[in-house]
Amino acid sequence: MSTTTAGGPLLRGAGLAKRYRGVAALDGVDVDLEPGESLALLGPNGAGKTTLLRILAGVTSPTAGILEGAGTGRGVGWVPQRPAVYHRLTARENLRLFAALEGAGDPDAVADRLLERADLLEFAGRPASELSTGTLQRLNLSVALAGAPVLLLLDEPTATLSPDQRQRLWAWLEDLRRQERMALLFSTQSVDEAAERGDRMLVLVRGRVAFAGTADELSATYGADDPEAAFLALLEAVA
Amino acid sequence: MIRNAARLFVKDLRLLVRGRALLALLVGYPLLVAVLVAVALQSGEKRPSVAFVNLDTSGRTVQVGSRRLGVEDYARRLDEEVHLERLTPDEASRALDQGRVSAVLTIPAGFISDLQAGVKPPVITVQTSRRSPIQADAISRRLESAIFRVNQSLARTYVDQTLQLVQVLVDGGDITAFTRSGHVLGLTESKRLVRELQTSLRRSGRRDLAARLDPLLNFITQAGVNLDLANAAAQSLTNPIRLRIPPAPKGREPLTGFGFAGALLVSLGLIGTLLGASALSSEREDGTLTRLRRGLIRTEGLVGEKVGFAALVALVVGLLLLAAVAIFTALTVDRWGLWIAALLAAGLAFGAFGVLIGALARETRTALLATIMLALPLIFLGLFTDSPVASGVSQVFPFGPAFRSFQTLLVEPSVPARLGLKIGQLLLLGLAFGGVAAVALRRRADA
Repeated sequence: MSTTTAGGPLLRGAGLAKRYRGVAALDGVDVDLEPGESLALLGPNGAGKTTLLRILAGVTSPTAGILEGAGTGRGVGWVPQRPAVYHRLTARENLRLFAALEGAGDPDAVADRLLERADLLEFAGRPASELSTGTLQRLNLSVALAGAPVLLLLDEPTATLSPDQRQRLWAWLEDLRRQERMALLFSTQSVDEAAERGDRMLVLVRGRVAFAGTADELSATYGADDPEAAFLALLEAVA
Repeated sequence: MIRNAARLFVKDLRLLVRGRALLALLVGYPLLVAVLVAVALQSGEKRPSVAFVNLDTSGRTVQVGSRRLGVEDYARRLDEEVHLERLTPDEASRALDQGRVSAVLTIPAGFISDLQAGVKPPVITVQTSRRSPIQADAISRRLESAIFRVNQSLARTYVDQTLQLVQVLVDGGDITAFTRSGHVLGLTESKRLVRELQTSLRRSGRRDLAARLDPLLNFITQAGVNLDLANAAAQSLTNPIRLRIPPAPKGREPLTGFGFAGALLVSLGLIGTLLGASALSSEREDGTLTRLRRGLIRTEGLVGEKVGFAALVALVVGLLLLAAVAIFTALTVDRWGLWIAALLAAGLAFGAFGVLIGALARETRTALLATIMLALPLIFLGLFTDSPVASGVSQVFPFGPAFRSFQTLLVEPSVPARLGLKIGQLLLLGLAFGGVAAVALRRRADA
């Protein structure tokens, strides 16, 4: 496996594989992403979505494959499904600490900016353990932004959120795409969310890419009226 | 990378101070255990309680020299070694069963008359508790030693009396020993009388008869000379080997030093390992480990930071305990530079051991439970390394070397070279456990 930051697409992964004790969790997956693009990662439970995201985030090393582009290493903001923050530190302390760890010149200023941007100012002094699910997810995402990434990797970011919290989070993510040309790569189990929020989608089944393209192309490929029906047809076809 | 390690270090300190319940648990619990250990070890200096059952109700006494001794005299002498409670046989049996006394000492009926007759030595019976074999063994030895001392004291009196008798044999005079009395002529007077008789015989021309008295005169002379040696011979018989135990230097009493070194080991051992384990496992529980490992800090740096954090807290707590000992007890605490080195090395090794457990455990609660379950038996192995197996095991964990270092600094007036070896061993163990923890952490994160 090699990791480079040469020119070309924001992120290019080729032949990515991961085996756990001889069992393939990911088997030769290719993935690429352009600046400002949103890519949805779709698939049933155990398809390898989280494993792929963890490899792209640099949390786990792949068993094989190539990973290159600016959207690797420290250029990536990682938003795990379960909020990864210090629960006994306040929201401001978390943001300040991660900004400092990311090497920000003025961690306090970065923390203030992120608090304002995520609408977290009123919760700044509260320990993370006392925040509601939606607020905690906003803090989780803000921490990922502390290093000024060019790509956000989000592992089922809306799985635990109510519909209004989901709406609010996506509005914010869309702002980030528009204003900073930040690319998004998110996993989801909702076909509607993947079709609505992703420019393209990558469907993983049992560690392999079963489909790569737009929602319309997915519907057309399986002759379905909507992406969800097409996704179900795809699962039947590969079963 | 070092800056980020320092930032995480400050964060860990802040969380420790902020989490008062955790702080109380992590620092208060080991301190409480330390106090209990110190109290338990100090209580070894108290006289054990022993039930005293006297079945010799004759009230008789035996004449030893110029004194008459009875059962109560024996009891008084034993009372200097153990705390005697005078009880009836039934009361003594109940007290032993209930654990109120450690043993029952029974003086048999006819004890004094047997002692007086000298035909057979009287037998004192000691029944020890079955519930505590270690204490029973200790009390048996203590009573054995006490009876030996009483016997020795009596033997000395008997020997003195015998020597007085010898002196009377030489010089002549009245005998009042071993229940007998009377008048003895003595060797000196006998010699004078024989010489007078010889002179008288020679004057009367019976020189042959006078000459026949020469062997008798020679015997009397030799007997006198040889009986002069009886004093030295009897003294060496009563004390063939003398034991001299020089008192420990003031402030460096071994038992007190052992107690406090043990308390320090329990306290710092638990603080270091618990903090190391919880500091690392809480990173995993918070989910922040994945963020940190994405290039914010190297695995070795993270392990080093957690080990350093545990070591610093252990050092501070250790110095506070030492300061308290220096202020409130008679134990000498000096050589602070060496103390800092020993406490820091021990803290690093304890912290690394805890971090390893934290790296292997999936959640903080599991890590803390595993740490306590592993640390407690290893601490006791470190304290009591009598068997070769215990000694061997204690060498590969930090608790034994740490205890030896603390004990050396507390009881040794001068610093032996082995203290440096022990501190070096602790640092090596810290490196080894830290290295294994880094490998385990990397593997766990990759899984």
